[in-house]
Amino acid sequence: MPEIDDRLNRYDPGEYRNRFRVLFWIILVAVSLIVVRLWYLQVIQGQDLRVRSENNRVRLREIKALRGIILDSRGVVLVDNRPSFDVVIYPEDAKNVRNVIETLEGLYEKHRLDLSEDYSQLLETKRPLMIYRLDRNVSREKLALVETHALELPGVSIDVMPVREYFFGESMAHVIGYTGEVSRADLEREGGGTYKSGDLVGKYGIERYLDPQIRGKNGGEQIEVNVVGKKIRMLGRVEPTVGYRVVLTLDSVLQRVAWDALEGKAGSVIAINPRDGSILAMVSKPGFDPNLFNRGISPENWEKLTKSPLHPMENKAISGQYPPGSTYKLIIAAAGLEEGVITPQTAFNCNGTFEMGTRTFRCWRKGGHGRISLHRAIVESCDVYFYNVGRLLGVDTIAAYANQFGLGEKTGVTLLGEKAGLIPTKEWKLGRFGVPWQPGETISISIGQGFNTLTPLQLLNAYCAAANRGVIYTPRIIKRVETEDGQIVQEFPPEPKTTVDVSRENFELLAQALWGVCNEPGGTGHALRRKEADVCGKTGTAQVIGLPEGTDARQIFFPYEYRDHALFVCFAPMDNPEIAVVVVVEHAGHGATAAAPVARKVIDAYFANRNPS
Amino acid sequence: MRIDRRLLYSFDWMLFGLLMIIIFIGLLNLYSAGASATGDPPFLKQIRWIAVGLVLMFAVMCIDYRLIARSAYVIHGTAILLLVLVYFYGNVTHGSQRWINLGGFSFQPSELVKLTLVLALARYFNDHKQPEAYTIRSLFVPLLMVLIPFVMIIRQPDLGTALLLLIIFGSMVLFVGVNWRSVLLTASTGLLLVPVLWNFMHDYQRERVLTFFDPGRDPLGSGYHIIQSIIAVGSGMFFGKGYMHGTQSQLKFLPEQQTDFVFSVFAEEWGFLGAMLLLIVCLAFILWGLKIAQQARDFLGTLIAFGLTMLVFWGFFINIGMVIGIMPVVGIPLPFLSYGGSSMVGLLTGMGLLMNVSMRRYLLHHD
Repeated sequence: MPEIDDRLNRYDPGEYRNRFRVLFWIILVAVSLIVVRLWYLQVIQGQDLRVRSENNRVRLREIKALRGIILDSRGVVLVDNRPSFDVVIYPEDAKNVRNVIETLEGLYEKHRLDLSEDYSQLLETKRPLMIYRLDRNVSREKLALVETHALELPGVSIDVMPVREYFFGESMAHVIGYTGEVSRADLEREGGGTYKSGDLVGKYGIERYLDPQIRGKNGGEQIEVNVVGKKIRMLGRVEPTVGYRVVLTLDSVLQRVAWDALEGKAGSVIAINPRDGSILAMVSKPGFDPNLFNRGISPENWEKLTKSPLHPMENKAISGQYPPGSTYKLIIAAAGLEEGVITPQTAFNCNGTFEMGTRTFRCWRKGGHGRISLHRAIVESCDVYFYNVGRLLGVDTIAAYANQFGLGEKTGVTLLGEKAGLIPTKEWKLGRFGVPWQPGETISISIGQGFNTLTPLQLLNAYCAAANRGVIYTPRIIKRVETEDGQIVQEFPPEPKTTVDVSRENFELLAQALWGVCNEPGGTGHALRRKEADVCGKTGTAQVIGLPEGTDARQIFFPYEYRDHALFVCFAPMDNPEIAVVVVVEHAGHGATAAAPVARKVIDAYFANRNPS
Repeated sequence: MRIDRRLLYSFDWMLFGLLMIIIFIGLLNLYSAGASATGDPPFLKQIRWIAVGLVLMFAVMCIDYRLIARSAYVIHGTAILLLVLVYFYGNVTHGSQRWINLGGFSFQPSELVKLTLVLALARYFNDHKQPEAYTIRSLFVPLLMVLIPFVMIIRQPDLGTALLLLIIFGSMVLFVGVNWRSVLLTASTGLLLVPVLWNFMHDYQRERVLTFFDPGRDPLGSGYHIIQSIIAVGSGMFFGKGYMHGTQSQLKFLPEQQTDFVFSVFAEEWGFLGAMLLLIVCLAFILWGLKIAQQARDFLGTLIAFGLTMLVFWGFFINIGMVIGIMPVVGIPLPFLSYGGSSMVGLLTGMGLLMNVSMRRYLLHHD
């Protein structure tokens, strides 16, 4: 084979054989590198990267659930939902986002309007966004402006968000509460499972207490988008579920009357059905407009509410704590009768003062009541009589009876923020101040002054014991939770809490005396006298500060914040009570003149409007 | 020009077959990668370029490579001249001046230079055989052959192609044998030149190099490409998302998906399994190319076949390495799979030369 020889002579690839072998291995190593890397990415990391590719293309858009509505016991809608409008921009459709926003701002400026949101974030981000909120909760004026200039504003659109509408505004704000965007603290506490950023949640009152039931379940849409955020197609949709609706025990008519009756005053009114603990009305003044909170309250409004000396955000009916004043005489009298230190016939002499050691305690009537026994002592609210009874009982016995009447502990009403009040004992004082109890302090306690404080709801509940002749119910404000079509989800039946250990005869005696307060000549609650129903009640005046001897605490020309609180608590009718009412008017002076007329209006309204059932 | 009938018998069906498989896969993949694009489907244009390339391939195949090699320096010189023309008259796209308009169609002379460089170097090393290994001094002329186009291309700027020229040069020099001291000297000078090169680099090129070392440093900027590519490749998992069902590519999260990042599209839709099959075909193609080099009739043939095979090999390795994050993003296309006329036509012409060498391995010299 001459050709082969010739070829070998001219060119011997042999010397390159080694280089080819090395090259072969280099190529193999290079390919192996690629194979190993692909194995790592596609098999070991495959699942994670698959998830990341899904996150790239799938956007979740939440569809907010409507919160359940809230009704009163008559079926009147107290809270509903209404749409709130946001101006939004879809950057994908806007082409030139900056131009469009500037056009919108120009339109706004002509009408002296501003955008509520800062859009610099939108202009800076490189991440494709599906939607960006430019202006929240816009007025009708802005809405009209955007809609009439739609052609000049490509990509700009109106987005509808459901928010709460509180038909009764201020008058029910403390009970129903309000909603707002979930706070960062709530988000962290719940771990993100229940709430998402931007959710509307109950912040106060029933809205907060029943939030899990009222909230409903948000739905959502899964949308496939491309790299610039343009919607390609819908992958799936889950409809939102409306929240459960709530039926309260409140009577909106009575609530309105109670609110109006407190016009111009600070304080609270509660009306309750003593036979089952249903709260019919509960107002606290001053109030606040819960609608302000829907889309976030403005800092100015927030400051106005929180800095006000009248504490409009506080539900004074359950968190206001006041000395009970003369309304406490019911408890002292019940204790005295039960303990046997007095009988209905026991009489004490009242000459207007009472000496205890070196101190002198006075009766509210300067000349005194003369010789007086239990019935008239309650009717005329004689202080000296009760100084005597209190001294005979001692502070710890008084405290034991007060506790029986549910004082000094929360009533357990299903509202947040309830306070417990305070019923002092010897032990409590020693522990609290390191000083032994002074006998004179018992004398103050006997007419409801001194250390003891209680909330209006506690006081009302104690009088419910007298109305029921013993039984106390846990106050309830929620009747039931039901679905949209009326199926019951959860019921809140009446719950008897305790029975006060006072005999039937003694309760009758006390009820008679309370009747006398409103119906007999000389009774302090004479304003409540009415033919239709026998109202039984008691006035009270709670001292805000201890006054030096010789000062008339009830003078009207006295700085507001030092004036006495006026109290009145009552139930009616005497023999088969249907309603009990407590009124506390802060810094208003006499219970008889400032508080009793308010209670009268509520009682009148109740009997005028009550259901025949 | 007379064509020896024996050439027909020695037509390299293996090389041609493997090439056709790769091109077919490339077209299939390009159809999917371009499905979401607006305007002319790129794969139709690619078919036209393939046709042009195949014609040129067969034309080049017919002329004996030794005849072609005689004009090697002229050809390489012409290609460099075209680069100069680009510098003055080229069209600017995406911020770089790479294109020249030749009577109705534009083309990238840098793709041509890759071929002519192989040819010129083969000619030079064949003409200047040395008993000893080459030293730096004896490599002066080959260095000029590579450095002139290197500088022209890096100024376009097209870092990827420029580097590829250097790599091909390096591969060929190592193959013919070079004095190790010279290699060390060159390497150390090269390292010293890195800061100089860094100085000449454009900001976007520096970003790319930095991004290679840490893709997370700017996930929405220069790191975006590589992150999206890795997501695309990895999310394909073992079996892939299915043809035309790659979400990263179809929804355009993957950048440059018809050119530099076509492999990511393929790996996303066909998974690890598909990628392995493609790699096997490519590996077979390269090994076959080396076999041609090894069995060539003369040293010139060996050098030409070797250089062309290296051109394809480094193209595959650097491009795939880049899209899977083991190489910096230097922007060189995947041979036969990336969309691009100049690259496809240039490569097919080059493959004509490879076939040329393969077909003539048993032939005698006629002169």
